[in-house]
Parts: sequence; structure tokens; C-alpha cells
Amino acid sequence: MDDLVVLRVGTKILIPFILLFALYVQFHGDYGPGGGFQAGVIFAAAYVLYALVFGIGNALRVMPAKVVYACGAVGVMIFVGTGFVTMGLGGVFLDYNVLAHEPSHGQHYGIIAVELGVLVTVFGVMVAIFYAFAGRRRLDP
Amino acid sequence: MIEFVDVALLVLLAITGVTIIRLRNLFAAVMMAGIYSLLSAALFVVMDAVDVAFTEAAVGAGISTVLMLGTLALVGHQEKKPRRPAIVPLFVVLVTGGILVYGTSQMPPFGHADNPIHQHVAPYYLEESEHDIEIPNVVTSVLSSYRGYDTMGETAVVFTAMVGVLLLLARGPLPRRVLLGGEWRTVRPGTTREELRAEAAHALDADGSDGDGSGGTTPGSPGSEDIVGEQGGKHG
Amino acid sequence: MIETVLDYASWASILGGLFFMVVGTIGVLRLPDVFTRLHAAGMTDTMGAGLLILGMSFQTVVGIMHGETSYWSVLIRLVFVYAFLMFTSPISTHALARAAIVSGLEPWTNDHEDDA
Repeated sequence: MDDLVVLRVGTKILIPFILLFALYVQFHGDYGPGGGFQAGVIFAAAYVLYALVFGIGNALRVMPAKVVYACGAVGVMIFVGTGFVTMGLGGVFLDYNVLAHEPSHGQHYGIIAVELGVLVTVFGVMVAIFYAFAGRRRLDP
Repeated sequence: MIEFVDVALLVLLAITGVTIIRLRNLFAAVMMAGIYSLLSAALFVVMDAVDVAFTEAAVGAGISTVLMLGTLALVGHQEKKPRRPAIVPLFVVLVTGGILVYGTSQMPPFGHADNPIHQHVAPYYLEESEHDIEIPNVVTSVLSSYRGYDTMGETAVVFTAMVGVLLLLARGPLPRRVLLGGEWRTVRPGTTREELRAEAAHALDADGSDGDGSGGTTPGSPGSEDIVGEQGGKHG
Repeated sequence: MIETVLDYASWASILGGLFFMVVGTIGVLRLPDVFTRLHAAGMTDTMGAGLLILGMSFQTVVGIMHGETSYWSVLIRLVFVYAFLMFTSPISTHALARAAIVSGLEPWTNDHEDDA
């Protein structure tokens, strides 16, 4: 295990920056390229990097499989929930104009909420699929 | 100049594709697939579709390479030699490709202002997005606001993909890693330590004394635990 | 004056970076085994890309001296890209070399010349 020290230290240094970059992509998506999907994939990539270097066992301690599965569902619920909130406020489904007094501000809030939903779903799904593949192993003959 | 870049990237894409077909070593094929994704991402950048390029680079060259390597760890990394030449698939591919190439002759010229895609709703989005939504990136405003229903459907599709993968792969209890007689073994779920000890004692006639605790998980040891799935039918 | 010097330095760096890129590529194709090829590939990342980024930074500095304040953000980004490369390239080279050693490859030595 000790001969992995270069990888481990390097990964420890890199992961915070990758997560920060994912957040940048998420919240800068209104102004430049990026958005929920890309940010979710980058989040998942950082997490998969952790799992590859530190082992699936440790990754599972960070985020058990059930949490990851829940993420996949919660994201869709955030997205659809935004639609229901706009309905409750008197608009039509996913009509963000009613979320604030100023319609364009409402659009901003709505887009942020919806992108968050996409982020959570994509992160959960990517990590769940990674777990599903990496968690299997051959039985010893 | 930009045509030169286009041609160079497309030629490299074609070379990579042919290489992937001809490779028998699947590890190398996976790496070439990653290169293919990276090249297509570069092509998207040249075509000013940075959002798509971003996604392609992150998913195609990043995550999917890792997933394919995870698959190769299970199925082995050498492709079997085909028993006979694949005449019918070759015919199907050639005919489909020929029809597609024929279809491009009817395509409107790339990037032309009179193309159908620029006649319908796109001009409205491009002109009014600044006023309606007040964010600079039109891609985001189309994706999240104008076409919110579509994106909701896409999110649901991604979720469905997860459900499908989990239904196919994540069934049953997990294989266990057990430390037995000084070495780690992967065993069927539900196998008790006593059975393994008996088996080991039967096999080795000795050395069954230092089997360790249940589940065999040492904190901090990578891969000492499993999450999902069992590997059926391999145990003798 | 100083701008001219920076311009020449920038082109020298860019040409030097291209030289190392070409040498690294030839090395990857021609050297005998994984470890020597890794050395060549690592050199394209550190020296090749490093010198290219240095040359580009000189160009942005020239731009800043011409009053293009927006080039500051380009310069900062270049510095970050360089730092990122300096982290990831040696780590990935190390990981590859380690994987090669663990999987049992022996470094090439001069006495295996029977097939040369």
C-alpha cells in the first residue's frame, strides 16, 4: 500500500480543485459553457478518481451505494418539484417567471434550481454505474 | 485554415476508428476510444459547440473509459478471433453508410443562413433570450428554460439508465473478501468461515487457524469490500 | 524595446516547445520499451507543453503592455494550466511506470540486442 503514496498525495491535492472546477462549471453555466450535466460528470469524475486510488471500500464509506442511488432519484424530484412550485405560484409547469417579482430574476432562480437537479441526478447515476461495474469481481477459482 | 483543421481532425478520427476495429487487445481499444472522444471534442470546439465538446470530453474520454476498464477487469482483455469473416455485418454497414453518404447530398450547406434549422424557433431564442432570461449563454437558456420539458425528459432518461444498469448488474448479495490462512479470497456470499476453514483444511491439511474476522474488511485497505452484484457460476 | 525582446523570447520558447514535442513523439515511436517511451512521453508534457505555455505567457505579457487588460485573466489561466500539468503529468507517468513494473515488465537493457 505504501508504494501508492505518490498517487495518493497527488490525488488528495487534485480532488479539491476538480470539485471547485465542477462548482465553477455549474454556477458559471449561465455565462459560459457548462451547466448541470457537465458539472455532474466532473463531480462524478473526481469521486471516481478517489475510488480508484483509495479503493472502493473507502469510497463506500464516503458515500454508500444507497445514498448514490437516492441522488439519482432526488435530482429528478428537484427538477419536477421546481415545475410543481411554479404551478403552485400560479404559473404553468416549469414557468419560472412567477418565481420572483421580476420575471427575469424568476428565470435565474428557476434555471439554478433545475440545473441543480440535473447535477444531482447525473452525479448519482454516474457513480451508481461505476459502483455497479467496479463492485463486481470474479470469484477465485 | 479552418478547413485544414477540420480535415486533419476528421482524418485522425477515421484512422482511430479503423484502428479500434483492427485491434484485438481490448485495453488498447478502450484507450483508442478515449482518444476518439477527445478528437470529436476538438471537432466540436472547431464547430463552436463548446458545450457539447465539454460534455464529450468529460463523458467520452473520462467516465466511459473508466467504466469500460471496469468491464474489462471482469471479462478479460483479449478479443476472441472471429470464427468466420463477418460478411453480413460488413454488407449491412456498407449499405447503411452508403445510404447515409447519399443522404448528405441533399443536406443544406453547413452553417448557411437559409437552413431549415435557422427558420423555425431558433431566431426567436437567439434574439429574445437576452431580453426574456437575461443570461448571456443562450445554450443554457434554451436548455433549461425554453426547452425545460425536454431537459426534464433527459434527466428522467439518465435516471432510467441507472435503473436499467442496476437491474442488470446489481442483483443479489455481495461476494465477500475473506482473509483465510494468510491470503485474501473472494468467495460466494453466504459462505461461512467454518465452511471455508473446512475446505482449506481439506485442501492444505493444515494452516486453517488464522482466518480473520467476518467480512474481511480491514479499514483502509482498498477493494476489501463490495457493494453490489455477485459473480455467479464461476465457483467450482 | 522590452516588447521586442519579449516577443523574440516568446517565439524562442514556442519553437523550443515544438522541438521537444517532436523529439518526444519520435521517442515514443522509436525507443525500445515502456519505460524509455514513458520518459519521452513525459518530456512532451513537461518540457514541450511547459515551454509552449511559457511562450504564450510572454505573448500575453506583450498584450498587457499594449494595454489589453483582459489579457490578465488569460495569463492567470495559463499559470493554472501550467501548475495543473506539472502535477498531473509526473503523477500519470509514475502511475504508468508503476503499473508496468507491477505487471512484470523488465526494463530494457543493452544486452537484449539479439532482435535489434
